[in-house]
Amino acid sequence: MSIYGELRSVALIVYRDLSRFWKYRFWLAGQIGMNLADILIYALVFNNMVNTQLIPDYFKFFTTGVIAIAAFASAFSIGREVGIEIRREYTHYLLGLPFSRTSLVAGRILGGMLRGVVYQSSFIVLAALLVGMPSPYGWLLVLFTSLALSASMSGLAIAISSSTKDFNLQATFRALTYYVFFFFSNVFYPKQVLEMRFPKPVAEAVGYTPVSLAADIYRWAFGYNTAVDVAQRVWLLSLWTGAMLLAAALIYLWNLTRK
Amino acid sequence: MSLREDLRGLWLLVLWDLNRMQRRTLFVVMRVTWFAIQVSIFGLALSAMVRFRAVAGVNLDYYHFYLFGVYTSMLFSISVSRAYDIAEEFEEGTIEYLLSLPITRRALALGRALGGGLAAFLFTLPMYAFIIYLLGDYDPAAIATSLAAALAFSVGVVGFVLSVVLSLKSSDTTDIVFGLLDAVLIRLSTVFYPAVVLSKIAPYYYSALVNPISHFADFLRTVFFFEEFKAIAVASPDLMASYILGFAVGLSTLAILVVEKAVEGGGWK
Repeated sequence: MSIYGELRSVALIVYRDLSRFWKYRFWLAGQIGMNLADILIYALVFNNMVNTQLIPDYFKFFTTGVIAIAAFASAFSIGREVGIEIRREYTHYLLGLPFSRTSLVAGRILGGMLRGVVYQSSFIVLAALLVGMPSPYGWLLVLFTSLALSASMSGLAIAISSSTKDFNLQATFRALTYYVFFFFSNVFYPKQVLEMRFPKPVAEAVGYTPVSLAADIYRWAFGYNTAVDVAQRVWLLSLWTGAMLLAAALIYLWNLTRK
Repeated sequence: MSLREDLRGLWLLVLWDLNRMQRRTLFVVMRVTWFAIQVSIFGLALSAMVRFRAVAGVNLDYYHFYLFGVYTSMLFSISVSRAYDIAEEFEEGTIEYLLSLPITRRALALGRALGGGLAAFLFTLPMYAFIIYLLGDYDPAAIATSLAAALAFSVGVVGFVLSVVLSLKSSDTTDIVFGLLDAVLIRLSTVFYPAVVLSKIAPYYYSALVNPISHFADFLRTVFFFEEFKAIAVASPDLMASYILGFAVGLSTLAILVVEKAVEGGGWK
């Protein structure tokens, strides 16, 4: 197939996945409700309990972090669909379509990425209103971070959800990945808090996970914390994204075609 | 059908749920793993940044507070996750098999609520043991009381789950509704913060006061550390114990009523 043909196939798959996104509007409403509950209940209440010398404004700190959670949650919607396809053996139909397998995998991951960005946009607007309006350069960084994080999380979700046909195990894998990524991140607590409880290398390592890097960039862009090396964070996030996309594509391809 | 046959049916259904849980060893290991991560990373980090005295007016160990809260949230989430099993059983037609057995609808509902509750309770026992180890409190009376409360609480939650799953009749909708319910109910409870902190926002405060999760978490706290937590509990220990018992009995009864009315007709197809 020509490159044009491959691109057209990818575009068709992405279009299909995006249009199916709205089919799950109740699921979306549920996800938005969960993320809003994090901001409007958890962060608002916790703001009254947190040591202000460590975190001056926990509400703003957490609101910017939630954008990273939002990318994860929404990108996982594609994983949920892939999981259903695997369970119901709908994948045989997908493999029978006149698309190359590379196009299929790329289309699914890109579709998941765009879903992530669309879903995140409402939380980005919320953060701009509650925390601060980014500069034009800040907006570019927000866009890049959202695309990179959503792409890597979409790939990860697809790889995980296609690894088992068991509905309960899919949900468990999903939740375990969620917990590992977000507890080992600075979404809920800054590095100085981690340094108070854990050895310095652990606190340092947590700061370089993809979700932490993304949260740092968002906090920089929304003007909450400008004391980070944002260029370094952008490079590291790009590296993470490349590696995760490659691994996810290979795992999904293998899961699609194994007997 | 005689009482003896009803009880035998009930017993078989409890065994059914326990057997299903037994086959999920990997599931248990993963849940315990993320529980350990939550307690050792999230809990320790949260307790490092909380200034409890300034808000609660008393000197509390937030890590103690958090451990009981996180156990409660885990027991609640695992009891709720029975919804996915039940939804899947209905989708796969297992319910037709169960309905064809010589077991009354009442015993079917009660058996699933008791079996599911017991399975969820047993599932969280390693986490409970881990919490007791971290707390370093081995008071046998407190352990026995808290375990009995945990079992009653999980039976009540599974009874509720059974009623809702039967009303929704869709595994996808079940996934969404329980994900949202889990998130909102946990946050509008005293799992992470005491009711006194919530009192600054009236709707949150009153939601926490009626929330069964708050009553169970605060009951555990006062059973183990009465002096430390009595001032911030949502109610007196007797009242919280009565609430948990009423919750279990009330929601199991609701499950019976719903099963008797909603389970027939193959609405899942």
